[in-house]
Amino acid sequence: MKQVLEGSHAVAEAVRLARVNVISAYPITPQTHIVERLSDFCADGRLDARFLRVESEHSALAALIGASSTGVRTFTATSSQGLALMHELLHWASGARLPIVMAEVNRALAPGWNIWTDQTDSLAQRDTGWMQLYCETGQEVLDTTLQAYWLAETVNLPVMVILDAFFLSHTYEPVDIPSQEQVNGFLPDYQPRFQLDTRNPCAFNQLAPPNVYMEMRHNIQQAMDQVLSRFGQMEDGFGVVFGRRYGEVEPLQCDDAQIILVTSGTITSTSRALQQQLRADGERVGLLKIKLFRPFPADAVRRILGGAQKVAVIDRNCSFGAGGIFAQEVRAALCNLSARPLVFSYIAGLGGRDVTLDVLKLIYRHTKDCEHCPDDSIWMGLHEVHHAT
Amino acid sequence: MAQDMTMKMIPLFIPRSHVSTAGNKTGSWRFLRPRYDEKTAPCSAACPAGEDIGRIAMLTAQGLFKEAWEAILKENPLPGVCGRVCFHPCEPACNRGEFDEAVAIHTLERFLADTAARYQLQADLERRSPRKQRVAVVGAGPSGLATAYFLTRLGYRCDVFEATPEAGGVLRWGIPSYRLPVAVLRREIEQMRRTGFEIRCNRRLSREFLQEAGATYDAVYLGCGHAKIPFLNIPGEDLEGVTDGLSFLQRVNRGDEPRLTGRVAIIGGGNTAVDVARTSLRLGAKPVLIYRRRRADMPAFPDEIQMALEEGVELLELRTVQRIDRAGEEYTLTLRQVPVVNCAAAGKACVQAVPQECERLAVSKVFRAIGLTAAESWFDPPPNENRVIRLNNSVLAYADGAPIIAYGGDVANPIKSVVHAVASAKEAAIALDITFQEGAEAIGERMKHCRVGGGSALSMEIHMQGPRCRRSDHVVAFDEINADYFELSPRIVQPRLLKEERIDSFAEIELKISANLAMREAERCFNCGLCNQCDNCRLFCPDLAVVKDADSGRHINYDYCKGCGICVVECPRNAMALEEENQTQMNTAEEGVHGRLT
Repeated sequence: MKQVLEGSHAVAEAVRLARVNVISAYPITPQTHIVERLSDFCADGRLDARFLRVESEHSALAALIGASSTGVRTFTATSSQGLALMHELLHWASGARLPIVMAEVNRALAPGWNIWTDQTDSLAQRDTGWMQLYCETGQEVLDTTLQAYWLAETVNLPVMVILDAFFLSHTYEPVDIPSQEQVNGFLPDYQPRFQLDTRNPCAFNQLAPPNVYMEMRHNIQQAMDQVLSRFGQMEDGFGVVFGRRYGEVEPLQCDDAQIILVTSGTITSTSRALQQQLRADGERVGLLKIKLFRPFPADAVRRILGGAQKVAVIDRNCSFGAGGIFAQEVRAALCNLSARPLVFSYIAGLGGRDVTLDVLKLIYRHTKDCEHCPDDSIWMGLHEVHHAT
Repeated sequence: MAQDMTMKMIPLFIPRSHVSTAGNKTGSWRFLRPRYDEKTAPCSAACPAGEDIGRIAMLTAQGLFKEAWEAILKENPLPGVCGRVCFHPCEPACNRGEFDEAVAIHTLERFLADTAARYQLQADLERRSPRKQRVAVVGAGPSGLATAYFLTRLGYRCDVFEATPEAGGVLRWGIPSYRLPVAVLRREIEQMRRTGFEIRCNRRLSREFLQEAGATYDAVYLGCGHAKIPFLNIPGEDLEGVTDGLSFLQRVNRGDEPRLTGRVAIIGGGNTAVDVARTSLRLGAKPVLIYRRRRADMPAFPDEIQMALEEGVELLELRTVQRIDRAGEEYTLTLRQVPVVNCAAAGKACVQAVPQECERLAVSKVFRAIGLTAAESWFDPPPNENRVIRLNNSVLAYADGAPIIAYGGDVANPIKSVVHAVASAKEAAIALDITFQEGAEAIGERMKHCRVGGGSALSMEIHMQGPRCRRSDHVVAFDEINADYFELSPRIVQPRLLKEERIDSFAEIELKISANLAMREAERCFNCGLCNQCDNCRLFCPDLAVVKDADSGRHINYDYCKGCGICVVECPRNAMALEEENQTQMNTAEEGVHGRLT
């Protein structure tokens, strides 16, 4: 049934349909609408789940680690500082192989205080062993949340479903809310591979000395590697029920493209418009949207970008001292190709600044006109700063 | 083929063990040792009768009203009386007072007594097997009756002799019924009598009784009270119409309620003076209290003074009466102002009469109500001499070949109150019991163990080796309470008759509260130092080392207790203690030595 829904509420609908058992979260703008709606669902009985109120994000994830260890489906949501506060437990959740799903609303980190969109918060957690899926539309948010449970429970790793603050979390769009029967057809009941059970007592996650620790970490890497092939299997199943598929990456007219724009999140939508305009003007331009960031789909990236002359990666984030993070990953994926495109790194839209069609046009123009590709990231649209003397 | 490999379920490699951790005795890591250590609540140490208030409130909060009422009766046989007329020194000591407001202990005590009366509950109290000694109790006032009650429970035979036609003493004849209805008093006297002693009314004894008693009794308890108002030594006080306030109260309590008109003067500042003023107000007069010091110095309880003033009693402070003159139906008092010349930090104001303009006050009646004394000189304890033991609230005199004479109640107490009368009774009963069983020289040492929080209040439950024996003397302070576990909540307001309803009747002023409200008020109690089974210790223990026993108690499994101390910190009411491990061993060793010596 189609409804006009806020992105946050699309997440909540998916969590309800996924028949989650335990929810724990701490409010933070711009995430709060998600758990607000879920607490309504729990209160009015539309969702039969325990909603645990806690005193911090650290406790929220700790509570879910406990809950998930008992073999039930769990959910949390957070943003920015809240995610940073969870950091220690992000490692624990993946190390303990718990299929927890989190909605992460990309918000800039303080100081200075900024509640608007910026990917640095989630990308700073890229090494924690969580899958990361970046979304573009309300429908994708709903679909990806359902897919996240499938993936998490298949490989026993936690997942972040990531959406841009306000541009996605607070924007109303028509969203098709599937029926419970449809969702049940795609996402069966969770069958835990291990769980705390008083009838069969055991201890988890005790000491792992050097002779086993490395193998345990390799086991996580193997699970991440498997996601890349499981993703297609998952989308096949999803497509049968819902008739939609997204792909871990989505290439748009890249086959014959000389220049390919690489984007993630809502910047992709604006880029789609630019790409069509430029194609109409006869430019041989393609667009690659990266949805799955962890594990990084390096094979697909190499296959799609390898033949282009130039690639422009647009990052709404920055790893200070190294530059745009998507660009680093793309460059790393391409570096061993004998013939490879020049990879331009652009940083734009930090802290919620608009990345308009004009900004994207400038990026394209610069990429096309520039003969020498700079090693460093190029910061788009910086204002002149007048310092007090 | 490659596709198949990538789709194969990868075996999980995670740390998991089915081996029990029971073999890992984490208790060996411990250098601090928690233990259950029930302590003393400040209210119970401040109560002259040593009532176990923290436990009484806990039982009340659980709806166990009979058990709560019995917990009072162990220490004080007069909860219905004290729940009405006690000046509740427990409440200023309440730790909750430092958090929001003290628990309304006084109101709860009355509620429990009223509830017991309403359901005609019979107390099941511990009684010792009979012993051969007999005790005569002279005076059926609160101290005499309570002495007979405690001694009977300790196994002794008691006879109570009362000069007036009915038992109760000052409670029957002195306290007006708007403060203490006679039915409440009669009920509690009956409850006491039922423990098994006789009250012989209309038996006024003479001094010779003390000599003759030896034939029948091993001890005599004299609780004859203060029933005489001394003269003021001023001209005109012997005029007809200048009345002794206590006789006036007795007359009204017998049912004779004369109509009074116009202004009446009451000279004095104690509870009797205030009772006379409020009684005369109800009989139609406009009372004026004349007191020689300031209001703050009045020996009357502040609540009583406050209510008297609310009702319309006038107070003239810092005045002495020089003389009383009569002209027809009118009396003129000549008053002199006495300014404060010196005021000790915590004492009464020192005043000095200085020659000054005198005031005159015209009244229709004058009541004398200054400091009461014993009616007969032999009611008073003897001066300190060789075989006299002077305790906090009682005096014992020993003589060869004669019964022990014990003195208690108003004659032995600096503060004249019902709860102090009960304190006298308990102290004398315990002292006599120790004397009969072990000899008088054992009193000091044995009584020390009965002290509530090491103070002057004694516990009969401790003396009778009840569970209260196990508490430590340490009086819990507010900063030892984990206040994080308590929410602010307002104290119950004692419902009272409106001022307009009070002043023309003798109906009881303070009204009943519902069981619901009583339970809510009792829940406010911190239960300082007492375990109320909140289970925090068990829930917070990271090693599951706190074990619940079948009888709803708990113990610590020291095989696994690491001594982290979380249980002690999370105990909201300081019913646990944490000690250094070797310290505890030393204590145990000392106790061992102690055990061998005794």
